Amino acid sequence: MSRAGLALTLVLAAGLPFARVEADAPPSQSEIEEALTCQCGCGLTVHSCNHLQCPSGEPIKDEIRSRIAAGETRETILAAFASKYGEKVLSSPTMQGFNWFAWITPFAALLLAGTVLVVVVRSRLHRTVLAAPGGGTLAGTDDPAVRARLDRELADLDREP
Amino acid sequence: MADLGRLAICLALVCAVFSAAASIFGALRRRADVARSGEHAAWACFGLVTLATGLLLRALLARDFSIEYVAAYSSSTLPTSYTVAALWGGQKGSLLFWAFVLTAFGAVVLWQNRERNRELMPWVTAVLMVVAGFFLALVTFITDPFERLPHAAAEGADLNPLLQNYWMMIHPPSLYTGYVSASVPFAFAIAALATGRLGDQWIRTTRRWALFSWFFLSLGNLFGAMWAYEVLGWGGYWAWDPVENAAFMPWLVSTAYLHSVMIQEKKDMLRVWNMVLVLLTFALTIFGTFLTRSGVISSVHSFTQSGLGPFFIGFLVAVLLVSGGLIAYRLPELRTTGTIESFLSREAAFLFNNLVLVGIAFAVFWGTVFPVISEWVRGVKITVGPPFFNRVNAPLGVLLLFLMGVGPVIAWRRASPQNLWRAFAFPVGVGVAAAMALLLGGMPPGLALLTFALGLFVLGTISQEFWRGMRARQAMLKERAPQALARVVGKNRRRYGGYVIHVGIVSMFLGIAASSAFRIEVQQTLKPGESVKVGRYDLRYERIETSEDGHVSRLAAVVDVSVAGKPIDTLRPEKRFYKKPQQPTTEVANRWSLREDLYLVLGSYDPKSQLATLLVYVNPLVVWIWIGGLVLAIGTAIAVWPSALERRVPVSSGAFEAERA
Repeated sequence: MSRAGLALTLVLAAGLPFARVEADAPPSQSEIEEALTCQCGCGLTVHSCNHLQCPSGEPIKDEIRSRIAAGETRETILAAFASKYGEKVLSSPTMQGFNWFAWITPFAALLLAGTVLVVVVRSRLHRTVLAAPGGGTLAGTDDPAVRARLDRELADLDREP
Repeated sequence: MADLGRLAICLALVCAVFSAAASIFGALRRRADVARSGEHAAWACFGLVTLATGLLLRALLARDFSIEYVAAYSSSTLPTSYTVAALWGGQKGSLLFWAFVLTAFGAVVLWQNRERNRELMPWVTAVLMVVAGFFLALVTFITDPFERLPHAAAEGADLNPLLQNYWMMIHPPSLYTGYVSASVPFAFAIAALATGRLGDQWIRTTRRWALFSWFFLSLGNLFGAMWAYEVLGWGGYWAWDPVENAAFMPWLVSTAYLHSVMIQEKKDMLRVWNMVLVLLTFALTIFGTFLTRSGVISSVHSFTQSGLGPFFIGFLVAVLLVSGGLIAYRLPELRTTGTIESFLSREAAFLFNNLVLVGIAFAVFWGTVFPVISEWVRGVKITVGPPFFNRVNAPLGVLLLFLMGVGPVIAWRRASPQNLWRAFAFPVGVGVAAAMALLLGGMPPGLALLTFALGLFVLGTISQEFWRGMRARQAMLKERAPQALARVVGKNRRRYGGYVIHVGIVSMFLGIAASSAFRIEVQQTLKPGESVKVGRYDLRYERIETSEDGHVSRLAAVVDVSVAGKPIDTLRPEKRFYKKPQQPTTEVANRWSLREDLYLVLGSYDPKSQLATLLVYVNPLVVWIWIGGLVLAIGTAIAVWPSALERRVPVSSGAFEAERA
């Protein structure tokens, strides 16, 4: 892989740690509430739903509180709610099976598009260099005076008329 | 009145169809007289839609409850301002309003181009009238805003209380303006493809329209965020709801276009890509309307849902097929010979900026439609909510912020080590110093710290550009600093306007990072006289106050706020009960400052025990998001303001003729 492609891969890969699920740790109430969608139809997470005496959100919050007090882990609590309400209660897709596509596809698409971009640009660059008379360099650009003039003109492009 | 309104809509549809047909016929047969008649029909269409919109507004203000729409979305006690907002508060009205804005923009385009772009104009008129015809067909055949009730209602059902907020007076019109004005660059792009006039003329003609559309999309998104922050009362401003996403996606793609079009103008590259971005922006505006109207994906913003989904999908597919087909047909002519000489160049930075912007748009699209895909594939309904979007988009946003600092200052063609040092030594120093200071100040390492460091890096690049431009003028022309600064901006409005816009975007990034990472929230049930400490604030719940008028009853908790023993404010978070729709709402009490917002929500109240549950949020730097919006508006004004030369010589038909030659 080219250096530019490698750099792009590294940059994109740097983002992946943000997409991972946190390791097992004593869960907090708000963390679990954020991981669950309120079933009252508000579309918000249980944590964000502030409907007056929400018939869905309030019982879920109470149940989370008691499960945390009983020493359950994040995974077991979320699994319990998923089995009770269905997978739709989870506020983001699980990292299992088909749901992996939800997480991977945006990064994979970006990586693929970036790689194609790098390959296309490099191949065009290569063709342009080969086509230039005198080999190795673009026509005329080995002349420092010409190169300086080109740079000046491009800098001028930044200025409007 | 209703009959006249309906007649106006029907005639407007006839005019739109005739205008599109005559324009295409005139263009194909080179019959200027027929094409002109198409333009005249477009003017007539605008007049008729204006009449229909005016009549619906009059019916709302006159409380004519014999019209179903008026009875469903207003009431005799609804304040006048919200009665005006009811025009776009329901589906039928909003579709008519859309057609009104579109035909109004069409009229402006016709006026601007009455003497120029004559080869393109028949196709531009045809495209705008096809789009207008689609919306007019919906309000003519499917969802009539002037539909009469069998018996006039004695009273209206009232506007949804969540929409009875001043932001709803300006948020939907801003968003519609952004959505609808995206039709103009789209129409010119299609015209360029249809005529084969693929040079820069259509881009120069639509440059301000594209910026106009982008600006109003920006405002629409920001006003929507402000509305959510004030009305929904959950302490946040963006929930990655499908309808929010629908407004965000065209903004992202439009932003990509505004950057990549500079590469086409300066280096004659990316013609195909720019075409794709313009077409995609328009397609996403239709997709957004589909999401709002179809109900295929549930949303807190979908105040109106109907069976219009298939019509929008059909129109969207037709748009994509026609646009894609035209691009494929013109592909050989669209190809350019320009190329990138190095990955360390401004062209490459802009390309990667485009990649990330479109990548974020794709991630948002993917997350929005994934529940539907999951249901198709697995038969299981799932939710893709804020945690997904935050995790996927946060690193991409940080990457974008980095490129925002690199793109505007890195050298064209190929940056030498000297160029890089000259361009980035100071900004990198600023970013690193900021990171060190924040770490020493106790900010934990993470995305927020990275965002702050990169934000200051970007501000470093921008301030360096202003400083160097000003110093150069001072050295050459012996001007005073303020004069030199004003002139350097005045002579390069587009460039420096862009820098100012970037300052606004950085401000938003910082506000979002701080309010997401360092929010404090506490829920506390209190008796009158009891206090709770949240952050640096002491909150003392004093009592409940009630008030009532014919429209709404209010229940407010009176909360005294003090810091370090010194009283600073009294806040009154409310619960409201709207009488006609029999619906309770939350009214947030927000005390904003440059440092943080103290945001209070009255969760519940028990009249017997007088216990009140307060939700208290301390949201750092939120106001910088809105300040960023203001700075963005100033930057846009600078960028679109015509230069002295442009004022003397507008984009002319002469240039077009030169291109033809």
